[in-house]
Amino acid sequence: MSGTVVGAGINRVDGPRKVAGAAPYPSDFNVHHQVHAALVGSTVAAGRVVRIDTAAAEAAPGVIRVLTHLNMPRLERGPMTALGASPPPPMQDDLIRHYGQHLALVVAESPEQAAAAARLVAVEYERTEPLLDVLDPKAPQVIDPWGTDSDRGDTEAALASAEVKVTQTYTTPDNTNSPLGLFATLAIWDRDRLTVHDTTQWPSMVKETLAAVFEVPESSVRVLVPYVGGAFGAGLRAWQHVILTVAAARLIGRPVKLVLTRPQMFSCVGHRPDTVQQVSLAANRSGELTAIDHRTVSSLAMEDDDYEAVSAGSAFAYRCRNVVTRDVQARLNRPAPCSMRAPAEGQGNFALESAMDELAYALAMDPLQLRLRNDTDVDPRSGLPWSSKALRECYQVGAERFGWSSRDPEPGSMRDGDWLIGYGMAGCSYPWYSVPCSARATVSRDGSALVLSAVTDIGTGTYTVMTQVSAEHLGLPLGLVRFDLGDSDMPAAPQAGGSGLTGSLGNAVVDACGRLVRRFAELAAEDGESPLHGVPPEAVTAGGGRVHVKGESSRGESYIDILSRNGLPELSADGSSTPASPEDLGMAPSGAFGAKFVEVRVDRDLGLVRIARVVSAIDGGRILNEKTGRSQIIGATIGGIGQALFEDTVTDPGTGRIANGTFGDYLIPVNADIPDLDVVFVGEPDRFSPIGTKGIGEIGLVGIAAAVANAVRHATGRRVRSLPITIDDLL
Amino acid sequence: MRSFEYVRATEVSDAVRLVSARPDAAYLAGGTTQLDLMKDGVLGPGMLVDITRLPLAGTERRGEALHVGALTTMEELAADPTVAERLPLVREALLKGASTQLRNMATIGGNLLQRTRCRYFRDPDVPKCNKRLPGSGCAAVEGVPRMHAVLGANERCIALHASDLAVPLVALDAVVHIQGPTGERRILLRDFYLLASESPDVENHLVHGELITGVEIPLLPAGALSGYLKVRDRMSYEFALTSAAVALVISDGIIHEARIGLGGVGSRPWRALDAERELVGSPPGTEAFRRAARVAVQDAWTLPGTAFKVELAQRCLVRELRTVSGVAA
Repeated sequence: MSGTVVGAGINRVDGPRKVAGAAPYPSDFNVHHQVHAALVGSTVAAGRVVRIDTAAAEAAPGVIRVLTHLNMPRLERGPMTALGASPPPPMQDDLIRHYGQHLALVVAESPEQAAAAARLVAVEYERTEPLLDVLDPKAPQVIDPWGTDSDRGDTEAALASAEVKVTQTYTTPDNTNSPLGLFATLAIWDRDRLTVHDTTQWPSMVKETLAAVFEVPESSVRVLVPYVGGAFGAGLRAWQHVILTVAAARLIGRPVKLVLTRPQMFSCVGHRPDTVQQVSLAANRSGELTAIDHRTVSSLAMEDDDYEAVSAGSAFAYRCRNVVTRDVQARLNRPAPCSMRAPAEGQGNFALESAMDELAYALAMDPLQLRLRNDTDVDPRSGLPWSSKALRECYQVGAERFGWSSRDPEPGSMRDGDWLIGYGMAGCSYPWYSVPCSARATVSRDGSALVLSAVTDIGTGTYTVMTQVSAEHLGLPLGLVRFDLGDSDMPAAPQAGGSGLTGSLGNAVVDACGRLVRRFAELAAEDGESPLHGVPPEAVTAGGGRVHVKGESSRGESYIDILSRNGLPELSADGSSTPASPEDLGMAPSGAFGAKFVEVRVDRDLGLVRIARVVSAIDGGRILNEKTGRSQIIGATIGGIGQALFEDTVTDPGTGRIANGTFGDYLIPVNADIPDLDVVFVGEPDRFSPIGTKGIGEIGLVGIAAAVANAVRHATGRRVRSLPITIDDLL
Repeated sequence: MRSFEYVRATEVSDAVRLVSARPDAAYLAGGTTQLDLMKDGVLGPGMLVDITRLPLAGTERRGEALHVGALTTMEELAADPTVAERLPLVREALLKGASTQLRNMATIGGNLLQRTRCRYFRDPDVPKCNKRLPGSGCAAVEGVPRMHAVLGANERCIALHASDLAVPLVALDAVVHIQGPTGERRILLRDFYLLASESPDVENHLVHGELITGVEIPLLPAGALSGYLKVRDRMSYEFALTSAAVALVISDGIIHEARIGLGGVGSRPWRALDAERELVGSPPGTEAFRRAARVAVQDAWTLPGTAFKVELAQRCLVRELRTVSGVAA
């Protein structure tokens, strides 16, 4: 194996199709005889449907059927998934749990007819007072929802006797994932066989869910998603609109297509839940942390679940003997939250790393030195050494590239005309996550390879990096390898999410390729005519389109020759990966680590905040493709800037309506808001995972909001503890 | 599906006749506001009269004024040499509005008639909106009004007029040319709009069927100093939190003429005449600028969510007065 294919910053293999407009996204699919659906949402946040009048809609041109809770088939809730319960089945009763809840689905011959008729559905409500505020004492609370709460040492005593202490409350708002691609579902029934084109990050899960809900064999359900127009976590669930579309197609006997509107993208496919976080830090005068206490209340839907352990990361961020973390979720009459890029860490890190900065001021200590002083090589929860951790190197390399040493610690001391200049930084991590995955590798008689797994590429580069991994492990040039995905008929695979896919899938692909090489070696070993006759398979490796004796590349033969002589059209092997147990390996599996350095400029009169520079130093373990890896970090950094300065999904007090559900009103950064972003990868391949990666999908976002807030504090002397940081905070 | 008639007019008189004859008819120019509102179910005209083929595009210098045809696009006007030379504040305001794509479609006449961005007005599911449903109340007042008006606003309506272009135009005493079924008339742009506090549902003095055919912009005197400052959360493609269009004629250390328009604060593009009077006769300086800014917003009507705009608008105006006059902080 050459070892030069993996790691190289090759261009995306799917790039030409994407820029040519030839890559079909879920909303691009159409089939003969299809009809179109439109949703009717509740315009109250809590209560009951007293009457729903569909007569006008049913009489409207082109309308085929209007589904409501009155005529919707009774459905079971989908199965448990690796990320928790399925959403509750839609339109099963008259109860209203949030504004925008699906109350009717109108199916018509054209999308325009369906949308127009949807406006004609008249609903009469019995309203009750909605619970909308995360701190509302009437909101039902879920305590320690995932068993992640931590208790170490005696935090109360350590805080009481602290030499230096910081206690503050930090808040983060709802953010909405806002992928460019509107979520779409096209459901096609053929008797009891179901094909669905769907915007999802997890085809295997959608297949299992639809099979369970519609009571058909899993082998009869096929979910297709070759391209995803972004998702950022919104595609991790089989949402209610998917179930409704599939149900409608079955009832009507024609394929049904539904494309959500942009406002519906704010209420139907999840969002980052808002949080109120209280953080207390204690330290001795030399800056050693003596206590961390991090308590979060975050919002949750009235009848759905969300994995969002906001405080949990504070239990292993620093060396500290006394730690308390608490997570509580408050059930509200708001749309269901779900993962949004860097779920939990995105909010929790803002609070912890803002508090660390406040502690640095209280200690009159450089914020970078404070972090270095409290860095830890072991996981403080278990005491096991991290499988890899180059956070110290992140701090050092990042600070060097940024020029941190030129920072004048005095707030407001660095200026450029009306602009106040601030330097801020934050440390960050994203926890390890890995689940089983499978893949299949095939080499055909022409010597080309096809490698398959039912994963998705949500823009991260999965097509590309897995082509590289496959090529390296099969000893083939990139041009002879195709990696394909996005089809639940392929080998079962987990979600593209949690920064876990590249490791899980990469190890499965390596396993499949290794097994396939071994099959070729076994065929050759048994074959008297092969130069590898009698060579034990474990002594054989692949390279240059051939299998050959390790260290002796001249002794071997090509895939083509082996297949030809055996009269085989192709040879395949299935591979899989299962994460090892930390205890067995005697180390704590590491996620990615990073250090973020930000320069902001704040207009001293107008309160304008501009990001001037960002340096992200990332320990992501082994980087499979330097270019797509860098793009991942850049994209997530922009998301972090959005979180820091712009993104704020506003719920109307009283009505529970989302007040800014359009791209004109919900601000995400535009190009002009983004300076050149410097990304540097440091560290070594991780020891825990055979492929050595750590997953870099989220780490680019984590820490940006805190680094921006810390830079604003340095520029202006003002500490903003509530995101996003806007002009009104700085007047 | 909601259907409507579509007619393409070739003569101004035809267009005016067609729309005047039907109460539910409306003009269609660039469509950048109109079509959005139709898709959202806020507007439902029975007939659209497409005026984009009418001979109303282009600019013409007429003495010390620039006549701008109503169908001139925002990008075209921004590129006009007279505008660049004699009306730099107009050019700046144009280029800070919308996005290039929208500016290539949106017309000057349409820009002046753009509807408020208020999300309570733009969502027909919101039951309270005195602009959409007169007498129903104002949901924005009870909601989240950060992007709303503080001048010419009250509990009946706080809808903001979001045009950037109109801000320098009211300051410059631009004149709107109107063609109606019975003839032509002209009106000062600053008299053209009504206040939301007084008539939420009627936004201007146009009678149904009247068509804006052009805008006449008096040129600034040679040597005038002018500029437009727009303050917003992100760098592009966002409406103003506050903005200021300023033109000053200064000689011998005294301000002889001052023109001030404020954006992002008013239910109509706001002309700050009292602030102008405060400046004329004074030497340019931070103290005079602050006095003028205080006067400019003295009648503000605020809610907790909009109160910050009173301070921000003053700072925005002071900054732009400083910038154009070259007065150091």
